[in-house]
Order: sequence, then C-alpha cells, then structure tokens
Amino acid sequence: MLTSEHSIVEFKAGQAISDRLTQSKHRHYMDYAEEMLSVYRSGIGQQRRSLHRQIETLFADEPDCPVRRIQAFCKLLDDVSIFQTDPSGKAARLRLQVFSKVAPLHPLVQQPDRLFEHDEKRIKAHLAEELGTVWEQIEQALYADVIAFQQLKKFEGYSGPSALLSRYNVAQLQACLYRAESMTVVVTDDLKTILRYAKLARLLHEIERLSSSKYRIVFSGPASVLRKTRRYGVNFAKFLPALLACRGWKMTAIVQTPWNTRAKLAVSDNDGFTSHLPSPQEFDSRLEENFACKFGQERDGWLLIREGDILYDHQRTFVPDFTFRHHDGTEVFLEIVGFWTSEYLAHRREVLRQFRQHRMLIAVPEKSLREGASIPERMLVYKTALKIGPLMKALETLRTRHTTSM
Amino acid sequence: MADTESLKRISLSFDRGTLLLKGLEHKDLPSIPGLSAWKWDVRVGAWRCDAIHYPPVRAALNNEFISSFLDDVPQPVPVYWPKVELPELRPEQTYALAAWREAGCRGQIIMPTGTGKTEVALAAMSEARIATLVVAPVRDLMYQWHRRILAAFDYDAGIVGDNLYNIKPITVTTYDSAYIHMDKMGAGFGLLIFDEEHHLPGKCRREAAILSAAGMRLGLTATLERSDGLHIDLDWLIGPVVYRMPFEKAKGSTLADFDVVRIPVALNVSEQAAYDQCSRVIRQFITSRRKDLPNYTWQDLCKESGEDPQARHAQKAYYFKQSIENRAAEKLRVLDDIFRLHNGQQILVFAGSNAMAIEVSKQFLVPTILSHTRKRERLAVLEDFAEGLFTVLVANRVLDEGVDVPEAKVAVVIGGQASTRQAKQRLGRVLRRSGNARATLYEVVCENTKEVERSRKRRRSDAYERTLHRRV
Repeated sequence: MLTSEHSIVEFKAGQAISDRLTQSKHRHYMDYAEEMLSVYRSGIGQQRRSLHRQIETLFADEPDCPVRRIQAFCKLLDDVSIFQTDPSGKAARLRLQVFSKVAPLHPLVQQPDRLFEHDEKRIKAHLAEELGTVWEQIEQALYADVIAFQQLKKFEGYSGPSALLSRYNVAQLQACLYRAESMTVVVTDDLKTILRYAKLARLLHEIERLSSSKYRIVFSGPASVLRKTRRYGVNFAKFLPALLACRGWKMTAIVQTPWNTRAKLAVSDNDGFTSHLPSPQEFDSRLEENFACKFGQERDGWLLIREGDILYDHQRTFVPDFTFRHHDGTEVFLEIVGFWTSEYLAHRREVLRQFRQHRMLIAVPEKSLREGASIPERMLVYKTALKIGPLMKALETLRTRHTTSM
Repeated sequence: MADTESLKRISLSFDRGTLLLKGLEHKDLPSIPGLSAWKWDVRVGAWRCDAIHYPPVRAALNNEFISSFLDDVPQPVPVYWPKVELPELRPEQTYALAAWREAGCRGQIIMPTGTGKTEVALAAMSEARIATLVVAPVRDLMYQWHRRILAAFDYDAGIVGDNLYNIKPITVTTYDSAYIHMDKMGAGFGLLIFDEEHHLPGKCRREAAILSAAGMRLGLTATLERSDGLHIDLDWLIGPVVYRMPFEKAKGSTLADFDVVRIPVALNVSEQAAYDQCSRVIRQFITSRRKDLPNYTWQDLCKESGEDPQARHAQKAYYFKQSIENRAAEKLRVLDDIFRLHNGQQILVFAGSNAMAIEVSKQFLVPTILSHTRKRERLAVLEDFAEGLFTVLVANRVLDEGVDVPEAKVAVVIGGQASTRQAKQRLGRVLRRSGNARATLYEVVCENTKEVERSRKRRRSDAYERTLHRRV
C-alpha cells in the first residue's frame, strides 16, 4: 500500500478523482512499466537509493508525471522486493568497534600539527590494516544498514507491465480512501462476501433493503456517529481489494479535502479496477474451508449448501456461513465465529435472538468464552476446529423438534 | 419480577475508544453530564459517546441508578511500587506537582527544557499508583522514558511503537502509535502522561486523548503555543494549565549560561558554481512564466511540475540547492576547527539530513544517532557519550526534543530548518546544568544563501539574547 505522501487526488466540482493511468491517455506508460520492472529485475545487488534514482531518470523528460507518481512507483516496486537487511546488527557492531577504537585519538584532523597529530587518512589506513582489509571496504560496510543503502536481494515483481499499472491505479484509489469519513456501497451480488470482508476490516455497517436483492450498506467505525473522523480510512482502504473482486456494486465515499471541505469518491464494479485478490468464489476463511471439506457434500441426509440465503430484519442482516438442508425439507443455518471479542459475541447472540424464528446454530471458539459462561442451547463450542459429531447431534435435535411441533 | 429487573439494567461498556450505554431511555439521558456528547447508534442499538467522558459519566450513573447500573468498562489495574528511587523534588517541581494534584489530577505543567519535567511526571506516577501510559513524540524519547522508569521504579515498562506492541500496566508509546492503538488500549490506563504535549492537538493525534477513558491526565511541555492555535484544545483534552515556569526564571538558575556563536562559511568554487547554476534554472523558469502570469508563485510551480518537465527541473534545482547548503564541504572544515578548539569537551552536532550526519561520521569516525538507529546501539552510544568515552555525537534531527544528552556543553548546528520551538529545544540540549561551565551553541551557516535568513529567524526566539559573531 502507498502512504498519504504518495497520494494524488484531483478535487473537481465536489468529486474526488484519484490518479489513474488509462489505456487512452497513458498508453506509453506500458513502456515505462516494462522499463521499471527491468531496472529492478537487473538491479540485484544495487542500493535502494540507486534504484530509485534510475526510476526517476526514466521519467526525466516525461511531460505527464508528477513527482508523487514516481515515488509511488518506487514504493510499489519496493513492496514486491526483498532487500538485504541486517537483522543481527553487523553494521552497528562494526560502527561501535571502529568508533570506540578511534575515540581516544579524537579529533582526527586533515592537517596534523604539534597539538593535534592524528591525521585522518593515516589513522583510517592503519585501522583498516588492523582489521585486515582496506578502508574503502570498511567505509562501505559502516552504514550498510541504512534503508537507502540497502541492497536489492530479490525482486518478486509483478506478472507484467499491465499488472504494475493496475496495482498503481488500485493503490491510488486506496490512498484516496485514507481521507474517507464513510463509505456507502449499493450491492446486488456478493453481499455476503462484502459484509464478511468489511467485518474483517473491522468496519461497522448500517443496512437498508432497497429491493428484493438490492441493499444499501453504509460502512464506518464506532466513533463515526460522534464526529467526522478519518480514523477508519485505512480500514476502508484494506477492505477495497475485496470489494473490487466482487460483482454488482456501486461505492461512494465521502472524503475530506485538504481545504477541510468534503468531496465524493465514486467507484463501481464497471470501472475496470483489477483486484489482486481472487474473486469471492475462490476465497473464504480457512476455518470454513476446512469444515466444508470435512463435512463433504452430504452426510446422514443433510445437504451442505454454501452461500445460503440472506436473512433480513429491520437494521439487521444475517448471512449464515452454511445452510444445511435435510431431505425432509428442514433448513438449519450455521454461523462459525472465528476470533472475536466478548462484545462481538454478545452482539452476535442478539442478532441470533432477532432471527430466532429460523433454526440457527452458532459455533464459537472456546477461548473467546468467559470462564464459567453459560452456553445457550444453539451454541456449539469448539477448540481448534468444529467437530462433525456434536454438529450432527445439534442438527438432529433442531430437526426433530421441528417435525414434532408440526 | 426478576425479568423486568434484568430488562431495566443499565450497562456501560468500552467499545474501541467509545462508550456504549444500553438500557437507558431517552428521557433519562439528561441526568448524565455532557448530553450533547451522546448519540444514538442505530447500528448497535445503543447510546454512544467518546471514552474521554468516562469519569463524569460513571459518577452520574452510579449516583442516579446505583442498583441497576452495571459498569462493564475494564478498570485500570492498581500499581504497587516496592522500590522508588526518585531525587527529591526542587521547590518549583513540588509546586507544579501540588498544583496538578489540586486540579484533580488533570492538567498541564509548562516548564523549560532541562528543569526536570520528567521527574515531576515520575513523582506523579509514584503517587497515582495506577496503570499509566506515557506518550512521547519520537521513539528516542519513548525509549528514554523506558530507561527513566526502569531507573526510578526498577520496572521494565511495556512498549507500544517501533514495531512493538507489548502492553503492560506501565507502558510507553509515541503519539503516532497512541493514535493508532488507543481504541484497543483506551480503557486500560488510569493516568495518561503526554510528554511534549504540544504534539497532541493535531487533527488526528488528538484522538489519542479522546479515545481514552483515563481519569488522570498530565501534559508536559516547554513550549505550549502552536502556530495554528490548537493548543487551547488541550484544556479539555488534558486539563487546564496548572503550573507555568517562565523561561527567564529558568535561565541562569537551573540552566547553565550560554553563548550563541554564528560561523558563516562560503561555498567552495564548484559548489558555488552548481548553486548558481541551480539558481539560474529557477530564475529563468519563473521569469519566463511571469511574462504571461505576473503573479506566478512557487506554489504554482509545484502544481505544474506534474505536467511540465521544465517545472520539474526547476523544482529539483531548488532541492539541490538546499542539499548543497546542507552538505557544504566547508562545514566539515569548520567542524574540524571546533573539534580542535573544544578538545576534551563533550560536543553535540546537529546535521540537517541523514546524509550529512553520515558524512560527518565517516570523516571523523564519530557515532551517530539517526532515526532508524536501533535500541541497542542507541543505548550503547548514549551511555558511552554520557561516560565521556565518546566526545562527539552526531544526530540528524531526532534529538530535537527532550532527549536527555547529559553534560554536553557544546552544540553545533550545521544544517536543518529551525523554527523557534526547535531552537529552544536544541538550546535545551546544551543547557543542561553541570557546574558553572558555560555552554556554547555554534551555528554554521552558508553565507549569502537562504540559511542566513533561517539563522536570523532562529535568533528571534527569546532564548537567544546575545549572539556573538566570529569567523573561524
């Protein structure tokens, strides 16, 4: 990700437009991207500072290129590079060694006289000899751990020039969101994934059903009801790649301008931004993935359906992780809770109460429960992974109650 | 009956830097102070307000609904100090602490650098005996607090910042980390100490104070005023100013006397040539622009630099000029002279940039403290400097504020844009009390360049009274 210092946003007529390189206006950037990648590819062993200078030089005569864009490219290239670091503090040890040795001879002077006789060049040569090397080598190693002087060890790179440019466009969009106070998404597809990833980005939401399959969700953080704050801008930015990977949505964010006014940033799934995340069908939390594998498609008359229904009631929605459908038509919803706080669990229980007309189970990790907490009937407690045995039992309990009450 | 009881229960909890109030009807809300602070949050179905309001809210709820009020806000743990090693406070430190205590342990103490703000804060901690968070501007200062707490209480404080997240009942952090993490740790501390508190009122950083439930707050600074005037908000973020020691009172009594010496240096022939070339590039560009746009400014140039390589060259020339000033070779020669002149004395050198600091270090083989210097090396260097094993220490700007550098009687500024506050803080470095020795601050500036202007600006601060001019 970029930092705010890399962000380029144009504010025009109440709209915020983040810097974007397009096919029509920036076709020639494909060549630049290729050249940038080759600077890094062939730059193994070079210092970070020198790589950045080479990138800068590429754009020296480019009429359309703000300094921030160059710096942003350097950051994105650095993000997929591995530089030689010095975790054991070799350079620091060398410094202390050299400086301590020389300290009694201070000051080293250019022109020695009777009072100050320690000639800089002679002392340095002498010191190098003592350490079994030449002074130039010591001088190089002395500050090798400074970030600008670190050497490129490995360049993982991007799959190609267009991947770098796509990444740049998304990164600028994210950086623009650092300024955001709130984010509104109108969703027709992939609602569940969107809500789940917003949850992972620690965002709160307000939801409104616009039509049978269309929802408006306003995302923000806890303090957003109290004052306009950019506090959750980073959360919006982290959430964005997941949103970009989804279908059927329109997003508008209210962002603060440098002049303390507000502007609107609008993006939709039609705008052609490419996410580096896989599409929703392919990603899901590992916990659930493991469980689905273990359960199989069908077991003891129960069919496992992923991406179940959306339950909606007043302000609340509930998108269960799994739906189990028995041959006799009974449906039970299951929500697996990963690593949540007690406040979150309490909140979740409340939601469950609201949807209690549905048959629903919630699986909760043991460590997130308070000691001696009472476990409601519809709650399954698990240690590291949800076990099939207790689940089958709970499913059957709900089913038999259902059939007997009929 | 039992059912209606539980329904009527009023609960208050901490939710990521805010307070959530459940079970209270709207008509009952006026009985709680700061009515305007509360907002109904439809997302969770509860009343919400910032955690900073916690102490009065808790008191009011306890008062009004004693039997049905359930306070779920985590309480800071009490702290017990088996061993306290603090120097006896000087009279003005004692007044400061007493004034803070009388103000209900909420307020700001303003004392010049070098007059023992840290000792006042440590004394406040030893009295409060409650989980405490110390917020410092930079990592160096954060580690310094860590050392001071270790020395005073024999306690290894937790650290949040510098890629560490280790919360303990006593924790030190930086303003940036406090802003990021306060929503998680806001209910864990009973006392907040804001060192160099003038950093707090910034638009974002202030949230560190707003998202905390701590009832006791102490702000410390030498220079309260901010150019944007936001320091007035410290009154509600921390508390009122409870004690202020004037700079004049400190000088000559607790602080050493000092001289300021300005040493002008000239650029050498090749530097001057490059400098003039850069000036020409900028002048020509601006002149050509002003033919069409008479009011063309530097800001316009920066704006244009994205679309026009010519403007970008001019912009680059400007930065290159700065780096020529910062790294003028003559400055190294002057340093050579100063080192000879003050041989045997502890000398601090402030360079304008990392590059210059490293250049000085490589030529004279003297240690540096740079922003990325790691904890172990930093400690070793500071310790050896304090013990006199190292006589010179080079810093870029990280020692700007509050970092204790014991017994340096000579400081040299060879670069860097100094504002009034920076000048005061830097002076504070060399003004540490040590016997009767006079301190000297050298400012090495390039002649006929922008730097002279900056030096004049520095001296406008009331801290500089007599400036000697001397050619070396």
